[in-house]
Amino acid sequence: MKADVELVLAHDGERWIARGGPIRASGRTLGELDASVAEALRAAGGPVGPRVTVFMGFDFDTLPRWMRQYAAHYFNRTVTVEV
Amino acid sequence: MTVNRKWTSGMASTEDWWAVWLGLFMFFAGLASIGDVDLVGWMAKTKTWTDLSKSLAPAGKAYADWTPLASLLMTYAVFTVLTGIGAATMKLDVRKFLLGWTTLFAITWVVWIVGHEAHLAAPVNKWEKYGITWGLSLGGGASYILALAVGLVIGNFVKPLARFLQEAAKPEWFIKTAIVYLGIKIGVMSMQAAGFAFELALAGACATFVAYLLFWPLIYALARKAFKLPRQWAAVLSSGISVCGVSAAIATGGAIRAKPVIPVMVSMLIVIYAMIELIVLPGFYTWAAPDQPIVNGAAMGMTVKTDGADAAAGAILDELMRAQAALAGVFWEEGWILTASIMTKIWIDMFIGVWAFLLALVWVYKVERAPGQRAIGPSEIWLRFPKFVLGYLLCWFAYTAIALFWPDVMEAARVGAKTVESPMRKMMFMLTFVAMGVITDFAKLKGMGRLALLYGLSLVFIIAPTAYVVAWIFHRGMMPPTVAG
Repeated sequence: MKADVELVLAHDGERWIARGGPIRASGRTLGELDASVAEALRAAGGPVGPRVTVFMGFDFDTLPRWMRQYAAHYFNRTVTVEV
Repeated sequence: MTVNRKWTSGMASTEDWWAVWLGLFMFFAGLASIGDVDLVGWMAKTKTWTDLSKSLAPAGKAYADWTPLASLLMTYAVFTVLTGIGAATMKLDVRKFLLGWTTLFAITWVVWIVGHEAHLAAPVNKWEKYGITWGLSLGGGASYILALAVGLVIGNFVKPLARFLQEAAKPEWFIKTAIVYLGIKIGVMSMQAAGFAFELALAGACATFVAYLLFWPLIYALARKAFKLPRQWAAVLSSGISVCGVSAAIATGGAIRAKPVIPVMVSMLIVIYAMIELIVLPGFYTWAAPDQPIVNGAAMGMTVKTDGADAAAGAILDELMRAQAALAGVFWEEGWILTASIMTKIWIDMFIGVWAFLLALVWVYKVERAPGQRAIGPSEIWLRFPKFVLGYLLCWFAYTAIALFWPDVMEAARVGAKTVESPMRKMMFMLTFVAMGVITDFAKLKGMGRLALLYGLSLVFIIAPTAYVVAWIFHRGMMPPTVAG
C-alpha cells in the first residue's frame, strides 16, 4: 500500500520519535505520536486532506548493536491521521 | 539508519542472511567434488594426539601433501576474507572486526588443539592406540567445554580483551552458519537413515507445537498474577523465556509495539540464563537419563534459549552421551543427539513469526485499539522469519535428493560434504563457544531483581520439566543409529 508520507520511527528511551524531511514529531505513547504527526504535517504544509496515510518504518539501529545479531526486524506501522 | 520495508531487506546487511551466504558458499564449493574437484579439502582439521606435531592435518585426501601449517593458514585466509566481506557489508568497523576475528580465531584453534589431547578426548576403546592408561574420554566435548571456559574467563575477568574482541564476537552469526553446514550433515545422514531423520523432524514439530501452547500462557499468567508485571513486560518476558530467547523477545516487543527498552532488558537476562543452562543441562541430562539420547536432545532444544546456546548445549550433550554410552560398549553415530536439539529449536524459530503476527493482531485490535491504526500485514511474518533456516533446509534436501535421484554420484558428493559438515562446522561451533563466553557478563544480572527471579523460577519449575515431559511423549523409544566401535 502506497503511503502519502513516509517517516522513520525511533525511541529515545522516553519518547517515540518520527522524522522524515521537514517532519519531526514525538510522543510518550504511539497515540500521542500520531497526534503530533498530524500537527507537524499541518505545520509543514505537506499533503493535506481529510485523511493522510503515514508509513512509519522502525529504525532498527535504535536497538543496541549486540542485540542486532539475534533479529533484524522490530515493527513498521501505517496509520491514517486527520489533517 | 536501517528500516526494513521490502522482502529483500537485510539480505546484505544482517548476520542472519550472511549465515546463509557463508553456508551456501561452502555448500556449492563442497558439491564440486561430484565433478572430481575438491575445493574444500584444504580445511584444517584437528586430530586426537599425544604428539603435538600430529594434532592437525588437511581434511581432504587431495591435499594430503600440504603441511598442517599451510592448511591452517589457508583456513584462516579463506574465512577471514569471507567474514571480512560480511563485516563490511554489515557496516561493522572492519578494522576492529579483523583484529578481533584474528585473535578469536587464534584462541579458538589453540583451545581446539589442546582439547584433542588424548588424555582429554580419546574414548576408552582407543586408549591402547594412543598408548595411554587413563583419560577423561570426553571426545570432542573436551574442546567445547574448554572453549566455553576460556570465553567466560575473558568475558568476566579480562574485560579489556572482551571489549577488544566484541566487534568480532558474533555467536549467532557463527552458529547459524554452523547450522547451515549441519543441514549438509543431516542430508548425508539421511542418505543412510532417511526415515529416522524425517521421523525426528516430525516429532520435533509436534513437540514444539505442544510446548508453545503450554509455556507461553503459563509464564504470562505467572508474570501477571504473581509478579504483577505490566502487560507489555509480561508478554515480552513470556516469549523470551518460553519461545526462542532474544529473537522472540524482539519479535514480541515489536508485535505489541513495546518501548525498545523492554526487549533490551529481557534480552540481557536471556543471554545470561542461556549460558547457565548451557553449563548445567548437558551434564545433568547425561547423568539423569543416559539411556534417552534423543529425548534429552529434543528437551534441550525446547529448554535452552538462543540458537547459539542451544546448538552448543546440543553439541556437548552429543559428545558426553556418546562417550558415556561407549563406556558400556554402545557406539551411537555422531550428530543425531545434536540434530534432535537443533530440530526442535528450528521449529521454534520458524514459528516465532506467526506467533508475533497473532500477538500483533490481538494487541492492535483488542488490547491497545487506537483510531487510524491500519491492519498488520502478513509481510511481518516474513520479516521475522529466521533466514538461516532456508540455507539449512536447502542443504539437507539437496543431499537427500542426491541420494534419492542420483545415487551413482553419492560417494563423490560425500567427499566435499564431509569437509564442510565436519571440520568447517565444528570450527564454527568452536568460534561460537568462545564468542558466547566473551559476550556473557554475569555482572549484568545485578539489579535485575524481580525479573531475574521470575526467569529463574519459570525455567526451573515450568520450562525445563514441561519440555522434558513433552520431549519424552513425542521422542520416547527413538535411538540414534549405532556404528562400529
